[in-house]
This record gives sequence, structure tokens and C-alpha cells, in this order.
Amino acid sequence: MTVMLRAEGISKRFGGLKAVDGVNLSLREGEILGLIGPNGAGKSTLFSMLAGSIPPTSGRFFLGGSELTGKPAFRIARAGVVRTHQIVRPFSMLTLAENVMVAASSCGRNRALARKSLQFAGIDERRHEYPMRLTLAGRKRLEMARALATAPRVLLLDEVIAGVNPVEAQEMTRLIRRARDELGVSIVMTEHVMPAVMSLANHLIVLDAGKLIAEGSPGEIVHNPAVIAAYLGKAHAG
Amino acid sequence: MKPPWVRPRAVVGLLAVCAVLAVGPLLHGDLYAHNLVTLTFLGIAAALAWNWLGGYLGQVSFGHAAMFGLGGFVAARAQISLNMPMVPAWVFGGLVAGLYALVWGHPTLRLRGPYFSIATIGVGEATRLVCTYWDWLTGGSSGLSLPMQVGLKYRLYWYGLVLAALAVAGSYVLRRSPLGLSLLAIKSDVDAASDVGVSSTRLQDLVLFISGATMGLCGGFYASYFSYIEPGDMFGFDRSISWVLMGVIGGIGTIVGPALGAVIFVLVRQFLIASYPQLYLGLYGVLLVLVILFEPLGLTGLALRLAHRFGYRERPDLAT
Repeated sequence: MTVMLRAEGISKRFGGLKAVDGVNLSLREGEILGLIGPNGAGKSTLFSMLAGSIPPTSGRFFLGGSELTGKPAFRIARAGVVRTHQIVRPFSMLTLAENVMVAASSCGRNRALARKSLQFAGIDERRHEYPMRLTLAGRKRLEMARALATAPRVLLLDEVIAGVNPVEAQEMTRLIRRARDELGVSIVMTEHVMPAVMSLANHLIVLDAGKLIAEGSPGEIVHNPAVIAAYLGKAHAG
Repeated sequence: MKPPWVRPRAVVGLLAVCAVLAVGPLLHGDLYAHNLVTLTFLGIAAALAWNWLGGYLGQVSFGHAAMFGLGGFVAARAQISLNMPMVPAWVFGGLVAGLYALVWGHPTLRLRGPYFSIATIGVGEATRLVCTYWDWLTGGSSGLSLPMQVGLKYRLYWYGLVLAALAVAGSYVLRRSPLGLSLLAIKSDVDAASDVGVSSTRLQDLVLFISGATMGLCGGFYASYFSYIEPGDMFGFDRSISWVLMGVIGGIGTIVGPALGAVIFVLVRQFLIASYPQLYLGLYGVLLVLVILFEPLGLTGLALRLAHRFGYRERPDLAT
């Protein structure tokens, strides 16, 4: 399988703090890559760099053959790498239909795709309502729909499952799987809800204190001593 | 083929109102009303142009008189010194004003909210001062006089009508086009907009240019209408404030709210200046406080609330 997204030695320094420290990762086409780690491990910072929200201090990353390092967020989105937000950020002054329309038209897609992404996310019947009227789960679906309306090649999902009830979490899990299988989108996801990420991800990488401490299949990761130490402390790692 | 977001009902409504206003002066000979309505047209066009930036994008400008004044003086100077015909001179003045807006706006639009607003106060005042001392362009504080043309002031009514109608149509198209949706997205959350591919810098510059150029065009119209202009009046801070007030009274960010606000503003001012000149600014202050406290969407919000009370259900996206 070809590599879609590749990061080489990517680092972010905030003053004296190395939030992300020389991380390498590669996402293969049609794969879901899970990015996990304890709180403060640098997952969100890494995500923000991949999406272009903040520039990396050093390192480079590529989509297919083209380099995206240092490009502004809107160019990265148009190139095909689109993120969702851990704390949902809908366009509150626009209806759901208009929310996805903005995303689609900014990336040169048509209305039909915008509509389809609402249907895909299961919120099409409410397209004339404002995001304020949706539950948190609904707004997380809107985040998905808005990202999918740009026809991305790589989707960066930042905690889309965390915080919703178990039934909705299952539906969200199914939605992510369908995005990969039916739409052919390659996905990087961070998630605190372990069962979801274990069942979805083809491949996992684990961050702790900004460094990549382990990678492998979900089965390998749960038995990795370094990962257990990072989550539970060294006493449990033996 | 017409874009799917233009509704036939809106087009018919606008054309009907314009038709009534176009034949109105032929049916009555009231010059006072004629003058007042012409000034209202100007207010409508300018208030809507202000709203594209202040309402759709949410960047409230307290310095739009800079573009109004510059457009007016460039248009006047072009007619006096270059013998340019009136309408091309307006357009020329508008383009210069739009470019001027870009010169100060491209750097300042990175500021958001109150910080941008404060910057625009500085821009407006600096422009007023520079132009007051720029004799060659503005004639200094004694101003410029345009050659008088018999009957022009009467005819300008229809020019004003066209200007206002274009501004209303422009507001409608802008609000419902992909560009307008992107502006509202930037207003909602500029970073989230960038994350889905919205090029916020370019779109902000674009709408500022359109807004500033329309302001400049209005300034040119104003110069022709009064055939005498001077910098203290054209660049006055109270002029900039008046567009903010029109927007707030009518409903900031709505499609036709500011036009409604302009009508109220011009009429109330005319009445108050004649009867209670010392009250006139105070009353606007009271009005502003009431609107902000009770109905942030201004008259448009009030109208929608009443419409709901009487059982009228409209698609919510028409409201704003």
C-alpha cells in the first residue's frame, strides 16, 4: 500500500518545553492510524501541526509526494488533509447545510457533495437548523460532515468519540469505519475511548511526553511494557 | 442560469418597490420629500456597504467616512480637473477608495473585534487630518465646488434609486453566495474556517475592497448632489458613527436590516434637527442602548418576533 501522509522528525518547542519531539509517522492509503497517549503527551499539538494550525519547530511532512510543511491551514485543507476539533467548533451563525457548503465550496467541491456528507453523517433532516440546536453528538457529526464535504484524502479526527453516550459512541465508531471503507478516506485519529480506537485502528502509535514510545498493531500495543508504564506507572509494567 | 440561492420572490419584491419609487416623483411635486428620499437612498447604499464588513464579516468599522470622503473628493477632482463625466468619476472615486481601504485594511484586518474597531477610528481621523491639509486634492478646509448643472439635483433621485437598489441586490447576493457564507464562517470562527479551506485573509480583503469602493461611490454621489464638499463634513467621525447606528438599529448582519435602519435614521434626524436640535444625538444614544439591551438584531429581529407571534413560519436562514 502507498503512503498517504508521512511526517519526518517533526518537533514542536514551546519555550523550554518540547511538546512534540522528533516524531516520525506514516499513514498508508485506506488505513486508520490511531494516535494514543496519556494526557499532555503531545497528541493535540501533533495534530495541529499536521493540519497547519501551528507550524512545526523542525521536521517535515508530506502528502503523497508533495511537501506540506509550513503551509497555511487553508492550503493544507485544500490539498486534502482536513481536521475535526476535539472541542466542537461549528459555524454557529450558519445552518448545518450552510456549514458544509462553506467547506465544500472553499475546496472547490459542489453542493451535491455537501449534501451527501450531511446524509452520510446522518444529520441531513436537520439541515436547515442551527448547530446550537444539536446535541454534542450531533455537533460531532457536523464536524465529521464538514470535514468530509471537502472530499479529503486524509481525515484527522481529534477525539470525535470522547464525551458522547455509549450508543452514540458506537454509531460514531461505525461512521468512522464507513468513512474509510466506503469513501476511501485515510484516517489519523486520537481517542481516549480505548475500545473504539482498538477496534478501528489498523495501526497504533503511542506518544508520551512528546516522544513516540511504541508503534504496532493494537494487539501488540496492549502488551508493550513501555505503553503500560506510560499509562499506569512502572510498577505495572513488569 | 440563475444561481439556486436567488429566490424569485425576492427579485419580484425588489423590482416592485423600485417601480413604485421610480414613478413616485412624477405623481407629486413635493420637493422636500424628493430631497429626503434621495438622501435616504444614499443612506441605504452606504449602510448596506458598511454592513458587508461590519455585519457579514463582523469587523465593525468606525472609520468608513475615510472611504466616503476620499471617493467624494477624487470624484469631484476628476470632474473639475479632468473633465471626467459624472458617473465614471464616481466609479473612479470608488475604485480609489477601495484601494485605499486595502492599504490600511490588509494589515489591520488581522486584528479582530474591538481591536480592529479601535484601529479604524485612528484610520478615519488620520485620513480626515491629512485630507484637510491636502489642498491640491480637497481644496483644504474651504473645500471644493463642482460646476452647477440645472436640474441635476432633481435627476439624481433616480441615480440614487439605482444605487440603493444595487446595494440591496448586492447584499442579498453576497449573503447567500458561497462568498457570503464564508464571511459568516470567518465571523463565527476564523481558525475553524481556515481548517476547512477558507482563505480568510483574501476574503476579508475582498469584502473590505467591495465595501470601501461602494462607500467611495456614495461619496461621489454626495459630492454631485450638494455640488459643494469640504473635508470636515465628508470625513467627519459622526458620519462614520451614523452607519454604525443605521446597522445597529436595523439589525447588524441581516440582509435588509441596515436599509431599514437608514430609513429610520434619516427620517428621525430630519425631524429632530428641525424641532429639537439639542436632543438629536441623545435620542440616538437611547435608541442604541435599547436595541443592544432588548433586541440585538434590531428592527429585523423585532419584525421576526412579531411575525412569529402571528404564526408566520419562515425558513430560519432567511432571517439573517
